[in-house]
Amino acid sequence: MDVSAKKSSDELDVPTFSAENLQSNMKIIYYSRTFLSIVAGVIAGVLGFTSLTGFVFYFLIMAITSVGLAAKAKFTVHAYFDSWNRVTLDGFLSGLMSFVLFWTFAYDIVHIF
Amino acid sequence: MGLGFTVGAIGILILSHAAYSTIQYRGLLKILEEEFSGPPLNVVAELLIGLVLCMYAGLCVPGKFLSIHPDSDENRIVSLPANVDFMVFNHRGKVFPSETNLKLKC
Repeated sequence: MDVSAKKSSDELDVPTFSAENLQSNMKIIYYSRTFLSIVAGVIAGVLGFTSLTGFVFYFLIMAITSVGLAAKAKFTVHAYFDSWNRVTLDGFLSGLMSFVLFWTFAYDIVHIF
Repeated sequence: MGLGFTVGAIGILILSHAAYSTIQYRGLLKILEEEFSGPPLNVVAELLIGLVLCMYAGLCVPGKFLSIHPDSDENRIVSLPANVDFMVFNHRGKVFPSETNLKLKC
């Protein structure tokens, strides 16, 4: 009785996964997001987006990136990450910073100077 | 590494060329004294091509995802020790009861 209860609590414990591989996957996601937000910023600047349109464009690009990352994981996200939020949300805000930086940069170069 | 990196470099070149042609277009508009309403169609097409190429590069260059399950195929230990020819199992130790619950330390 006692032994079986202990065993079942062991099975219900936190699922084990290799933290090293998870970290390397997270690093790959950060690289992809940072690069693509820079590219999105340049495109938004060249197209001459201002105010809300640019942020909507960023959301669009990040949504496409999330789909691309999920496709890279062959849509079996739980084999590579512990939750969906890792694919869809991580690196979103830091990407927004570099997006705004390169957006204003490209806009200034193309449209103002 | 090689292919994705090249594709990304081409994509960035295309993006900068699109930026350059937009600058030229604005110069033309300044001469014609017209207002800028939107970038010309070829610049938009160029930006789309650059975006697709950079998307491919950004998804491929950083590397492959590794499985986090400890019992998946690529995480198993499949290599044998090099001295397997010298291992002898037919010795007197086999009469002793063996411990079957031993586990590999990760």
